[in-house]
Amino acid sequence: MFGPRIVGDNGIELRPPTLEDYKLFTDWQMRPEVTRFWGPRFTTDTVATAEERLKRHLESNDSVSWSIAYGGETVGFTGIFDISWTDRDGETGIFIGRHDLYGKGIASEAVRLRMAFIWNELGLHRTHNWIALANEGSWRANQKSGYSQIGTYPRSWFRSGEWFDEWLGEAFPNTFPAGKLPSPWRDEGHPK
Amino acid sequence: MALGGIVIGKRTTLRTPTEDDLPSYSRWMADMRVRRAAGVWHQPAMPATWKERLKEQAKEQRAVLWSIETEGRLIGLVRARLGSLEGPPAAHLQHFIVDPDQWRKGYGWDAALALHRYFFDYLDLKRSGFELRADNVAALRIAERLGYTEFGRGHQVHYRDGAYVDEVWLVMQREAWDERWAEKEREYLPLGKAPR
Repeated sequence: MFGPRIVGDNGIELRPPTLEDYKLFTDWQMRPEVTRFWGPRFTTDTVATAEERLKRHLESNDSVSWSIAYGGETVGFTGIFDISWTDRDGETGIFIGRHDLYGKGIASEAVRLRMAFIWNELGLHRTHNWIALANEGSWRANQKSGYSQIGTYPRSWFRSGEWFDEWLGEAFPNTFPAGKLPSPWRDEGHPK
Repeated sequence: MALGGIVIGKRTTLRTPTEDDLPSYSRWMADMRVRRAAGVWHQPAMPATWKERLKEQAKEQRAVLWSIETEGRLIGLVRARLGSLEGPPAAHLQHFIVDPDQWRKGYGWDAALALHRYFFDYLDLKRSGFELRADNVAALRIAERLGYTEFGRGHQVHYRDGAYVDEVWLVMQREAWDERWAEKEREYLPLGKAPR
């Protein structure tokens, strides 16, 4: 399924992806500037199959996908995938396709919004992820919303002559910082 | 790839699965002892569905399925993903299921050793990895004996039997295989040393 619109701080929001977004996603994943920690930089996706992919994700019963918007413009995507409704666990991921916007806190805010939705609306018990250890910005963004490291997978990626380990993380509802709950869950008069 | 060929152990043999194996597969997937120990390879189903699954498995490009037998009797199955594009060539064990009625007889160890010989001695893979439920003591013992080490632990990952259980992530590097097993576990004698 696609996630609903969740408005965060500093012009950042999560919103349901559009067909145009899907075309962007494919294009970004072919670019060297944003694929140092995201591979393999080839695809079977084409503009023509974008609609098919959108439909597949939309109809999926074990994932929730969002586009990330900054100042009204789509700049990346995030979501939770491979949800096990028995274990109430799923894998989260995030990709910022606009390298010129790195360092602006977009990922941190997107993760905060995503995790608030997961804990308050999906009723999950746990989430997990694997992130290149060298991609410090990404795992730090996840840490701010309650992720902690539970292992290191050695030599997972090879880029330009060096191996990268992976940072393995997990989060639980009670590890989400209570003071960081976004709207609408923190709003006065909200059922919670 | 897709359906595995014959790999001979001392007491067990990994071999190509056939349709005749499918009723046993279905029975194991419905067995609560199996389901407590590990995730199943598909849920129990009607025979026609299992035939379809086997057909689909045969088309798989990256995952290989074997049946395990001993003295001509089917006792288990194993499925592994092979290959890696961005990391070292590797195996990832997805399912290793032994018929619960055949547990504690050493078949799991024997089949696991043969399978890893195939990974390292035949395919020249650089590592193998898999996840285990933390209370699956028998499998953990086999993994440790083979040379696996823990690199991560997920907390309260799987729900079953009214409670959550942790998950242990294990990896075995090629070096560990070489150190422990390479001398003893070879499928073929070096060329020129075969008896004439």
